[in-house]
Amino acid sequence: MAGGGVKIGIYFCNCGSNIADKISADAVREASRTFPDQPYVATVDFICSESGQEQFVESLTFERPDRVVVAACSPRDHEGTMQHCLARGGINPYLMQMVNIREQIAWVTEDRDRATEKAITAIRGAVYRVRLQEPLRKKQVAVCTDVLVIGAGPAGMKAAVSLAEAGRSVVLVERSPFIGGLPVRFDELFPALECAPCLLEPLMGELLHGDHSEAIELLTLAELWQVTGFYGNFIAKIKKKPRHVSLHGCIGCGECTLACPATTRNRLHNNGSEQKAVDFAFAGMLPNAPFLREEVCLRFQGSDCRACKDACPMGEDVIDLDEGESLLERNIGAIIIATGAGLFDASRLAGMGRGMLPDVYDALQFEHMLSSTGPTGGGIVTSSGEVPAAVAIIHCVGSLDGDHCAYCSGICCQYAFKFNHAISAKYPETVITHYHRELVAPGKEAYALMEAARTRRNSSFIRCDSGNYPVITPEGTGRLQVRGEDVVTIADMVILCPAIVPAEGADRLAALLDINRDCAGFYDELQGRMDASQSTLKGIYLAGACREPMDIQKALLEGMAAVGHALAGLQPGRMIEVEPATAEVATSRCAGCHLCSSVCPYHAISFDSEQHVSSVNGVLCRGCGTCVAACPAGAITGHHFTNEQILAEIEGLLK
Amino acid sequence: MSANGGFEPKIIAFLCNWCSYAGADKAGGMQKPYPPNVHIIRVMCSGRVDPHFILSAFAQGADGVLILACHPGDCHYKEGNCRALQRHRLLSLVLQQFGIVSARCRMDYVSAGEGEKFRRIITEMVEVLRKREALPE
Repeated sequence: MAGGGVKIGIYFCNCGSNIADKISADAVREASRTFPDQPYVATVDFICSESGQEQFVESLTFERPDRVVVAACSPRDHEGTMQHCLARGGINPYLMQMVNIREQIAWVTEDRDRATEKAITAIRGAVYRVRLQEPLRKKQVAVCTDVLVIGAGPAGMKAAVSLAEAGRSVVLVERSPFIGGLPVRFDELFPALECAPCLLEPLMGELLHGDHSEAIELLTLAELWQVTGFYGNFIAKIKKKPRHVSLHGCIGCGECTLACPATTRNRLHNNGSEQKAVDFAFAGMLPNAPFLREEVCLRFQGSDCRACKDACPMGEDVIDLDEGESLLERNIGAIIIATGAGLFDASRLAGMGRGMLPDVYDALQFEHMLSSTGPTGGGIVTSSGEVPAAVAIIHCVGSLDGDHCAYCSGICCQYAFKFNHAISAKYPETVITHYHRELVAPGKEAYALMEAARTRRNSSFIRCDSGNYPVITPEGTGRLQVRGEDVVTIADMVILCPAIVPAEGADRLAALLDINRDCAGFYDELQGRMDASQSTLKGIYLAGACREPMDIQKALLEGMAAVGHALAGLQPGRMIEVEPATAEVATSRCAGCHLCSSVCPYHAISFDSEQHVSSVNGVLCRGCGTCVAACPAGAITGHHFTNEQILAEIEGLLK
Repeated sequence: MSANGGFEPKIIAFLCNWCSYAGADKAGGMQKPYPPNVHIIRVMCSGRVDPHFILSAFAQGADGVLILACHPGDCHYKEGNCRALQRHRLLSLVLQQFGIVSARCRMDYVSAGEGEKFRRIITEMVEVLRKREALPE
């Protein structure tokens, strides 16, 4: 501490002529005699050069100053370099203050005397400040390197498989009974019309029975229930609903399904087919094991039916009719959210007929219709079983609309062109009318499908830029009338392409994890351009359409990007270093007013309701100092930027 | 006092590390001179600027205080600049009660690329304060 003769060394870098031409080192030396503790002044020619650093370190080792001021270039250029030199010289790097006499004085001051005068002032400020600086050390915290991935769609599967490949243990939580997300149920994908399940098959295979799949704990019908702790040391509680069919014992033969006497309508098939109480969600679903719907099963309505259990060729243990809900607890270091997205509910728009008119479908329903495992086996037919002579495809439903979704989802046009292609391929004579606000075809591959749709003989495009949605009404003969921008067409089938919105439950998960959402409800990035994979909370990463509407290609890339963060941040056998220039609450002075936690952008401050005091988590704190300035009791110290240090700098500058 | 005997104000400027301090460095890189009346204190975030610092600067003889932050929405710490703005607005009201007019305590936004804007703000503020007297002790 200052007071009883602190030895301060001022190192003045000439920076060749850059500084020396404008600022006199001799005048600085002369002035320093009036500074507290009479620092010594040493000049170096280029302190950042190799020989300059050697000279600096040598001098530090010889002089053994208690505090160091380096008057040179911007700390943005060489603060790190200088701190390393201090460490090499055996001095704590936080005992140095850098003064920017090049960028902020020598280069911008015309008059040599005034430049020298300003430099003396700045160095005096630094001397006042550095006397109060304290040695700080990085703290080390042991971490768990396991990762929790939420959502087994394309992004989540890619993340889980890649983490397992890198040797990490993964807990993969999926709330549906199957993996693959939305596209696993599609037939063809834009832009290249590849078969979706075929593309996803290798990834799903890797996940379920690949070389590294043992490192992945897949929990289907499971949802995150509670998370405590912080980056490197989270504890996740996961609620798992009973599947009643063991994933390990079941061979997917479907004997139980055949034997089951209870049925329900299949919602994925637009209620156009039946499903059993114990059944697959769709043909070819993975894991290849059915699940039991308690709300349909007779046993759960009071009967003592055990038809499925009796039919199972794998023995008594595969189907467990008494399985209950379970709460699992896992220690993890990082969390990747890959919960995907859903569709804007078009029934919110009056006049579009969604939910009212049987031949008005939304895009997901139409995808299911196109699927060979769908309700029509891939046939495009109206509710009365006819091949449609005319189809209207309505883009931008809810999109580009300040009252609903004030953004373009970016993928709807492309799947709309895909629908055009699918209809044309089967029924070239079917008339297709696209109603759209805007048309987008981004990237290097989207143009071909758009051009095919636009040049097709029986296709037309109507731009609706008045801001009104087309109005769909029944027409006398059982057909539909579509009126958009005063153009009236008759259609047998209408396909709505609604905006992509956050998946159902995105709000609950955000509240549970304490992360932010943007105004559209998607998870908010730490920084939209530079840090889009990171959520607003350290150690929680975002991948795929939970962050922003996107296609499968981008979702898979985002899965990998999130993995990159998890791998780089948490490594086995390596502790994470906690920056010491962070905030700390002196509990004896804390009045428990919560003001600090209300201004902390990183949720780094928690409140101990027993002690009635706040405390800062050093792992989460990034050292901005907003809480320090906010604390009315002055109970928070912003290490390396303390009130005393900054006030001393002000005093030094104004002496 | 300057060479011509006119009043030379002393200004304390708090610059956030990520945008404004970088903007000041950018101005340095341009090597175009501006008045040397401003003394820069680097803070990690403009949200760190405690109103107490500003009062202390005035009490110790500063003729002006400048707070430069990232543009709204660009804060490295998400919203520290908004906190700085809130505090600055409130403090300005208090300062006026003491006869310290708003021109003496200015807040503005300078991004890492805005070297020219940094020069302009400094030049303007120095010119405005040169026309005023020093604050009474």
